[in-house]
Amino acid sequence: MASPRRSKQARRLLLLPVITLGLGLLLFVSSVASASPAPQTTETPFATVTPTFDLSRLDAPVTADPPGQIDRGAIHYWGVCMACHGDYGQGLIPEWREAFTEDRDCWQSDCHGPDHPPEGFEMKKDNLAPPIAGPGKLASYSNAFELYQYIYETMPWWNPGSITREEAWALANYVLKLNGTRPEGLTLTTTNGYAVPVHRTVSLPGKEWPGVLVLAGVLVFAAVGMVLQAASKQTAGTAVLPKPNFIHHLHPPSIPMFQSRFRYTLGAGGISVFLCLVLLVTGILEMFFYIPSAEHAATSIEVITTLVPFGNLIRNLHYWSAQLLVIVMTVHLLRVVLTGAYAKPRRFNFLLGLALLVCILLLNFTGYVLRWDEGIRWALVVGTNLLKTIPWIGEGVYQFVMGGPEAGPAALTRFYAWHIFGLTISVAILVGWHAFRVRRDGGIAVPPPTKRVDKSRITRFELVRREVLAMVITGIVLLLISVLIPAPIEQPLQETSLAASDSRAPWFFLWVQQLLKYGDPFIWGVLVPLLVVLGLGLIPYALPRAMSEDLGRWFPRGNRIAQVLVVLIILVITILTALANLPIFK
Amino acid sequence: MNKLSSRRDFLKLITNAFFGLSGFLGLGGLFRFFSFQPDPGPPTEFDLGPASDYPKGIQVIRLDIPAAIQHTDEGIIAISLVCTHLGCTAEENETGEGFICPCHGSRYSKSGNVLEGPATKNLPRYRIEEQEDRRLRLFTK
Repeated sequence: MASPRRSKQARRLLLLPVITLGLGLLLFVSSVASASPAPQTTETPFATVTPTFDLSRLDAPVTADPPGQIDRGAIHYWGVCMACHGDYGQGLIPEWREAFTEDRDCWQSDCHGPDHPPEGFEMKKDNLAPPIAGPGKLASYSNAFELYQYIYETMPWWNPGSITREEAWALANYVLKLNGTRPEGLTLTTTNGYAVPVHRTVSLPGKEWPGVLVLAGVLVFAAVGMVLQAASKQTAGTAVLPKPNFIHHLHPPSIPMFQSRFRYTLGAGGISVFLCLVLLVTGILEMFFYIPSAEHAATSIEVITTLVPFGNLIRNLHYWSAQLLVIVMTVHLLRVVLTGAYAKPRRFNFLLGLALLVCILLLNFTGYVLRWDEGIRWALVVGTNLLKTIPWIGEGVYQFVMGGPEAGPAALTRFYAWHIFGLTISVAILVGWHAFRVRRDGGIAVPPPTKRVDKSRITRFELVRREVLAMVITGIVLLLISVLIPAPIEQPLQETSLAASDSRAPWFFLWVQQLLKYGDPFIWGVLVPLLVVLGLGLIPYALPRAMSEDLGRWFPRGNRIAQVLVVLIILVITILTALANLPIFK
Repeated sequence: MNKLSSRRDFLKLITNAFFGLSGFLGLGGLFRFFSFQPDPGPPTEFDLGPASDYPKGIQVIRLDIPAAIQHTDEGIIAISLVCTHLGCTAEENETGEGFICPCHGSRYSKSGNVLEGPATKNLPRYRIEEQEDRRLRLFTK
C-alpha cells in the first residue's frame, strides 16, 4: 500500500505527463514542463481539473512487494501508456480526455498540436490512441505472444523499440488484466505466451508437484513393502510357490542366481523396457493434445505445458524417459560386450539390440523435431541436409524423408507418422523379438552347467519382484527429474530464421556435429557414424569371443579386443560430445 | 510359522494397498488431464454494423452466426437459424416467408415459430444491443 504522502507525490508526478500528454517517460517531464508556456503545469494542478473527473483514477497502482511481472506491467502502463490508452484501456475517448482539463483536445493544444515543444510530437485527430480493452477490442490478436510482439515492436507510439522484452511481456500481461482475461497468477514467458489466449480466460493448473511427490512417496512405501516381503520370504525358507501369473510366465521358471544379480546385469535391459513402456503411455497421452501441423505444433505443446493439468509432468516424463533410454541402452550394450554375452548363439540377438538402439535414436530425433519450434531449426536443416550429401541417391533419400524440397509442413507430417507409427511399431516388434530371442538362446549367458561354481537359482517370482523394484526406483527417479527440470520448448518455428535460434544438434547427435567440423560432410557426417554402427554389428561375427566357461561374469579373457573396441568407441563419442562443449540440458 | 505367514500377509496387503493407492492417484490425475478442453468454442458476440444498414422490412441472413436479422414492427431482431431439432442450419424457404431445415424438413414461420415437425421448439431470438459507436452487436449468450 502506498502511503498518503507517496500517493500525493505520485499524483503530481502523473499529472505532469498527462498534461503534456504522451511524454510519459518521467525523465523528460521537467524539461518539457519548463519549455511549455502552459501555466497550469506549475502552480495548482488540482484546482483546474473538472470536478466530475475522479482524480483517484490517476493514482499509482497498488502493487505487491516485491513486484511481480503483473505489478511491473501495471506501473509501466501507469507511467507511460495510461496517458493515451486510459486508466482501464478505454483509449483517448472524450471521457478520458476530461483528465487533461483545458488541454483535452490534445491534437490542437500546445502539447501535441503543430507547434509542440521540441521533445514532443504532433498528434493527428484521426490517429488517436485506440481502446485496448473491452468487448470486440484487440480482435486481431489471439494470444499473449502476438500482443507482446506488437507492444515490443511498436510501443510507445512516439518512441517504438524503446522498451525491453521483459517490459513488453509485463505490459502484455497487464493488457490481459485490463481485458479481464488474465489467468490468476500468470507470469508470461516465451514458453507460455502462445498458450494464453487474449479473448477468453483459461485457468492455469495449480501446483502439481505436491501431488506428484505424494505419488512418489506412495511408490517408495510400496517398494519398501516389497523389500520387506522378500526378506520375510527368505527367512521363511522355501515356501510353496503360488501360481504364476501372466507376467511371471513371460519369464523362465528359474534363472541362475549369480547372473541375476544387479551388479552383473545392471538391470539395463529391464529398465530399458520399462522406459519404453513409460514412453508409450506418456506418448499416447500427449497425442490427445498435440496437433501435428506446422502452425499449431509448438503452440499445442505450449498448451500441454502451460494449461493442461499434469500436461507438463507428462511431457517432462516423456522427454526425460527418452533421454534416459539412450543412456541406459548404451549401458546395456556395454554390459553385453564387456561380459562377452554376445557370443554364439546370441550373435543375432546382438544385432536386434543394435537395431533397437538405432530405432530409438531415430525416435528421439523425430520426437525432437515434432516440437517444431525455433530450437530445432538448424538441427533439422543440418541433420536432413546430410542425406543430400550421399552420392547418387542423396536427393532421393532426402525427398523420401522430408516429402519435399526443403523442411516444411510435409516434413512435419512425415516425422510425425514415423514417430507415432513407423518407428514405434518397429521398436515394439524388435523389443518382443529381442526378449523372445533371449529365451530362445537359452536365457542369460552362463557357463555350461558342469563348469558353474555356484549352481543356486532364483525363481521367477523373485526375478519379477526384482524387476518391479527396479521399475519403482527408476520411476521415482524419473518423477523427480520430471518435476524439477522442464523439457525444452521455444516459440513456434517462423518462416524466416531468427538470429537467436540455437544451432546445436540434440545432445545424442552432438558427436556427429563435432565430427562435421573435421571435413567432408558425407565422410564425417554419414560414413563415419554408419561405420560405427557397422563396426559394432560386426563384433560378434569378426572378433574372437569369450570361452563358454568364462561367460556370465565381467571382463572374460577371450574377447579383450571387442571390449577395448567398444569402450574406445563409447569413449571417443563421449569426448566428441564434450568437445562440442555444450551444456546438455539446455 | 503361522505368525511369520500372517506377518507376510500383512506386508503383502500393505504393499498392494500402496500400489493400489498410487494407481488411484494416477487415475485421478488422468481424469484431470483429459478434462482439459483446448478448443475456445465458437464466438458469442458478432458485429452487425450500423443500424442504418437495416431498413424497415429487411431480412439479412448471417450464416456465420447463423441468424436472420429482421427489421420488424418490434424493431431490429435476430432469430437463430440453428434448427432446434438436431442443430442443422435452417434456410429460407421457397417463398422467403419462413425457414426450412434441410436435414429433416422442419418448417418455421418467418418469426421462428414451428409450423411442422420434427422440431418441437421455436427458433430462439438473440439479444442485440446498440454500442456507443452506433453499431449493433449481437450476443448469442
